[in-house]
Amino acid sequence: MADPKDRGAARRVMAVALREFRHTVLTKGFIFGALVMPVIMFAAFAALGLLLDSKLPPTVGTVAVLDASGSVERHAREELANDRINAVEFDGKRIKETSLPAPPAGAAQPLVPRIDLTLEFPRDPAQEQALRDRIRDGGLLALAIVPPEVLAADPKAADGGAASFTLVVPSGSPPRLTSLIERSVARSIVKARVERAGSDWKSLDALLSVPGTSVRRLSEDGAESEENVVAKTLLPMGFMLLIWVATFTSGNYLLTTTIEEKSSKVMEVVLSAVSPMQLLAGKILGFAAVSVLMVGMYGALGVAGLAFAAMGDLVSPGLLVLMGVYFVMAYAFVAIMMASVGSAVNDLREAQSLVTPAMLVLTVPLMLWLPISEQPNGTLAVVTSFIPPAIPFVMVLRVAASSEPIAAWQVAASIAWGFAWVGVFLWAGAKVFRVGVLMQGKPPTPRELLKWIRMA
Amino acid sequence: MTRGAVELRAVTKRFGQVEAVSGMDLSVAAGSLTGFIGPNGAGKSTTIRMIMSIIRPDSGTVDVLGADAIAAKDRIGYLPEERGLYRRMRVTEFLCYMAALKGMPAHGLRARVRAWLERVQLPEAERKRCQELSKGQQQKVQFIASVIHEPELIILDEPFSGLDPVNARLLNRLIREIHSTGRTIIFSTHVMHQAEQLCDRIVLINRGRKILDASMQEIRARFDPRVVEAEPLDGDARAADALARVPGVASAHWSPERRAAELALAPGADGQAVMGAAVAAMPLRHVALRRTTLDDVFVELVGEAAPPSEESGNG
Repeated sequence: MADPKDRGAARRVMAVALREFRHTVLTKGFIFGALVMPVIMFAAFAALGLLLDSKLPPTVGTVAVLDASGSVERHAREELANDRINAVEFDGKRIKETSLPAPPAGAAQPLVPRIDLTLEFPRDPAQEQALRDRIRDGGLLALAIVPPEVLAADPKAADGGAASFTLVVPSGSPPRLTSLIERSVARSIVKARVERAGSDWKSLDALLSVPGTSVRRLSEDGAESEENVVAKTLLPMGFMLLIWVATFTSGNYLLTTTIEEKSSKVMEVVLSAVSPMQLLAGKILGFAAVSVLMVGMYGALGVAGLAFAAMGDLVSPGLLVLMGVYFVMAYAFVAIMMASVGSAVNDLREAQSLVTPAMLVLTVPLMLWLPISEQPNGTLAVVTSFIPPAIPFVMVLRVAASSEPIAAWQVAASIAWGFAWVGVFLWAGAKVFRVGVLMQGKPPTPRELLKWIRMA
Repeated sequence: MTRGAVELRAVTKRFGQVEAVSGMDLSVAAGSLTGFIGPNGAGKSTTIRMIMSIIRPDSGTVDVLGADAIAAKDRIGYLPEERGLYRRMRVTEFLCYMAALKGMPAHGLRARVRAWLERVQLPEAERKRCQELSKGQQQKVQFIASVIHEPELIILDEPFSGLDPVNARLLNRLIREIHSTGRTIIFSTHVMHQAEQLCDRIVLINRGRKILDASMQEIRARFDPRVVEAEPLDGDARAADALARVPGVASAHWSPERRAAELALAPGADGQAVMGAAVAAMPLRHVALRRTTLDDVFVELVGEAAPPSEESGNG
């Protein structure tokens, strides 16, 4: 049967934890920042798509291609055909222009305004000025002037440089439309050249098309796995950011509430009922619940997103368990640091000078995200995964980069080493907290903090 | 020997080089209303914080309600000198939270809070946030927080500071009512007349040391000034010379502030007889034996000079 003294201590710790949790997650700031804001952002993206789809009017007009030879016309009609140019970005995806599928009947509309072009192919160079005048008057969307030398087998300009054609557009022409016409006319010229040279464009295009790649990773034990960019770089970053955001949001709340308790003088009232250690434990526990809520919420959304994108198999139960262990370690590091700093200072400005060195260490995984996830077993990754308090963040990057499994002993060692350091942080942080909560006046220097640790 | 509600034995607390409390021996009797008095920085708050186990003594022992101070936390009510509230919490919620920390069961807590708010004439504050209250109202809420769990020992550090006379009187009455139920109250102040009004025992602390520990009755007897004040009807300062010749008067001097002669009694002289002789000597508006005040005792023991420094650390 539990000692009544222990039961009393546990009751106090739980009361503090419950208060901290309720007074954080039920505030407008948390509800807006952690819950409503992501929903608003998601809704904004969705709304943007709808706006682009429904509100922007289609681009309708005429494009003239001035080509004395007439050899570009057939190819330009093909390249600038309305069905083709509107299908290029069908469903927001850029589709290879040489293998355009026709948009299926009744399919969703693309998220860009439709382009409806009429084409003219004047041949007389004397018409150029009149065509330019039509551009100024708004009668033409674009004028492409194709000089004869650009169609030659060895296209050279008069000065010996590469021959070029001229595209004249109104000053307010949308960049996307200009670019589309430029690319289409350029391809039409190339096709015309190929035709003039007596070659078959389709065969040539097929020969020149760059093949897709399937990278297979072969491990030492003979297992073969497919390279996945999402799994290799984005997933580790996603996991690390999730833990980073959840722990630092809670840590920040812990810092500000501790400072607030000191500055509003409520600290001594609370300390008449609980010991500094019970208060610290309650606060760490309460904000751990806040952190778990955030990780659970965003993590579930992320996993659901992966499952939706048919990449659910990238997240194994084993990986989730390891994420949980490193999350606990990360939160412990951040929470202890924030609570002890909060107890030692009088306002947030003073806290910055004490938090900054630790923050610098903790931003290392963010800065080294790419090299660590590229080479999860490289020297850089191995060394940084044993530097506290960055241990859990680096290890999350490493274990989530599925292309190269991490040696089990390294995972076990990082967990043992990390939690040993959590113990050191807790020992020192608790001593600073015990002294700091009752201190007023100027904030301590790092040397004074060491003195507190020795004397408490 | 009866064990006191609070027992301090050779307690010392240092902050750096400064000895805030030095070898303090103290026994507060159960059921007493004891006043801790002393100048600012004397060590009162440090002593109280050690009793509350908020800080630990460097040496010596602190025994509260027959137990370790930490174990007795739920049986103690504390109103600190530097007090505050969770500004955004509602009053009821704050009081329920404090009561929960002190081990009160949740059942019936809201009704108890409501009853206390009515008792301190603050029923309208029930649903308000703490930051919406005036300073005096906040102080009443803080007082409730220190007594809502019906503690056996109540420690009030400067409870009247910032209160207007009406609310000070209300608080005074509440403290007496609580004391009348047999609870032990320690009351710290540097305002002497408050201690004199409320306390049945006084502990005077100066520079970390206890320099007086006695009942008010003992203090009055021990520090009897043996002075007769005689205010002449015509207010003439020369009355002091005439009254100096009254039998039993050792010396007399004129007090311009009181517009009265202060007659120091000779050893063995009877105050009543001196007063009678003074009345016979000249027409007087007022004659009385001066009563011992804590102000006088304080000045005599501590001196009129300001304390050399504020209390060190947070003590």
